[in-house]
Amino acid sequence: MKPHRRRAGFSRRDFLRAGGAVLAGAAVTRTGQAADSRKPNPWAYDVSGFEKTDPKLVRYRELRRFKSPHRDARRLALGPDGRVWIAAGNYVCAIDPAGNSVAEIAFAVPARCVAVANDGAVIVGLRDHLEVFDAQGKRQAAWDSPGKRTWFSGLAATETAVFAADSGSRAVLHYDRSGKLVGRIGEKNKDRDIPGFVLPSPYLDVVLHPDGLLRVNNAGRHQVQAFTVSGDLEASWGKPTMAIDGFCGCCNPVALAVLPDGRCVTCEKGLPRVKVYSLHGDFDCVVAGVESFSENAQTSKGDQAGDGVKASLDAAADAKGHIYVLDTVTSEVRVMAPKATA
Amino acid sequence: MSTPAPNHPPVNRRQFFRDGARLAAMTGLGAFLGVAATRSRASQNTVWQIDPSKCVYCGQCATACVLKPSAVKCVQSYEICGYCDLCTGYFVPQPNSLDTGAENQVCPTAAIERKFIEDPYFEYNIDENRCIGCAKCVEGCTRFGNGSFYLQVRHDRCLNCNECSIARVCAGDAFHRVPASEPYVIKTTAHE
Repeated sequence: MKPHRRRAGFSRRDFLRAGGAVLAGAAVTRTGQAADSRKPNPWAYDVSGFEKTDPKLVRYRELRRFKSPHRDARRLALGPDGRVWIAAGNYVCAIDPAGNSVAEIAFAVPARCVAVANDGAVIVGLRDHLEVFDAQGKRQAAWDSPGKRTWFSGLAATETAVFAADSGSRAVLHYDRSGKLVGRIGEKNKDRDIPGFVLPSPYLDVVLHPDGLLRVNNAGRHQVQAFTVSGDLEASWGKPTMAIDGFCGCCNPVALAVLPDGRCVTCEKGLPRVKVYSLHGDFDCVVAGVESFSENAQTSKGDQAGDGVKASLDAAADAKGHIYVLDTVTSEVRVMAPKATA
Repeated sequence: MSTPAPNHPPVNRRQFFRDGARLAAMTGLGAFLGVAATRSRASQNTVWQIDPSKCVYCGQCATACVLKPSAVKCVQSYEICGYCDLCTGYFVPQPNSLDTGAENQVCPTAAIERKFIEDPYFEYNIDENRCIGCAKCVEGCTRFGNGSFYLQVRHDRCLNCNECSIARVCAGDAFHRVPASEPYVIKTTAHE
């Protein structure tokens, strides 16, 4: 009888068994790696206690929101006709009250800030110079750059003057409407008792107050300062703290707006929040807390793609007391109204 | 007197194919060895580095490195730094006061030196012998400030393991190989 010939190779069963073991081993290894990367971080920079806002302090509610037609929105301004002008990417665009894009101006470089005067003229700040347009978006003038270090980051305009916040030279430049430089405001001056702006990042902003003074954010000193148009420092208020009544981080607030009754609206980055302060700088209420800007907060934390350093907010207020808040991460504008009248 | 021509035996078909096969085999072996040598040289000429734009400050650099303390260190980009008095990379979120008291410092090993420059500016320097690469300061600086603190693999310490144990667990997938001739990612811009 012929002996049964035993096969030297793997049987199908052996092969599947070995393959299964290998796959199981690989799965365990990968699970271990995934578990390692999900371990709680013992060195987390924990500000979670400041990310929750007391609901009693929030006295605004969202009426509506709309998206900027372009990404990388930086600043916004309100026109006398109710249109919202947004500097976003290499564009400045106008949105009508219904949320429709009605005008657009294109630039070769990023538009960094925008202001609209009462006569409808639109002033646009590019990094190193200003350009003037009519209400239809037709270019009227391009002004000379005031210097190599210029980095325009905020604008305010009237029918006779333009105030340009220049983060690069740490000053607010006062122009007349023909583009002539009339004065420099806020520069360090011991004789005039002006401490100077401290600006770790380019977020200098300027707004016109109904009292005739300018309000400027001195972010590195965690203050809002009031200047006359001739450059005298009249008042300062604000304190550094992560708590809701002060300004958080190294350099806040990053943007300002003024309500018709003279109260000041401030925007912060890091802990993205919008608040209202009284004329004398006492904390009044919260417009929108960190919870309202989850994507912005996640980007700041590094938990989400995007450059946290560029995550900030901007605001503008209309004659009805509505506050338009621009989130630079989502490029969305939220229209906020006081809860009592919403 | 003329020299007679050498008498070469004729090459038959079998010999021709055998010689051809030998030649092809030698050529193939040469090509294989050449490619292998080039690849080996390429892997020797790259080193591990962290892409700061992908870092999510997960803390794994401090714990996962085979070296203790880790070969990953915080570095300071002086060009980007705001020289802030209230530096969120140096101070805990709500410091008692802006001084060098241990309770006010965010760094668990006091590896950051705070040096007065002129009112209100301060310079911050990293003591790499103390730094453990935990990224706590990096998160504070990037979240609130300009992001001048960031992590880098220091090549005077790194063993350049074939499979980096931090890269395996990096939550941001920020580890990658870079040419040894340019071993560091230099951050120069905070705001474009």
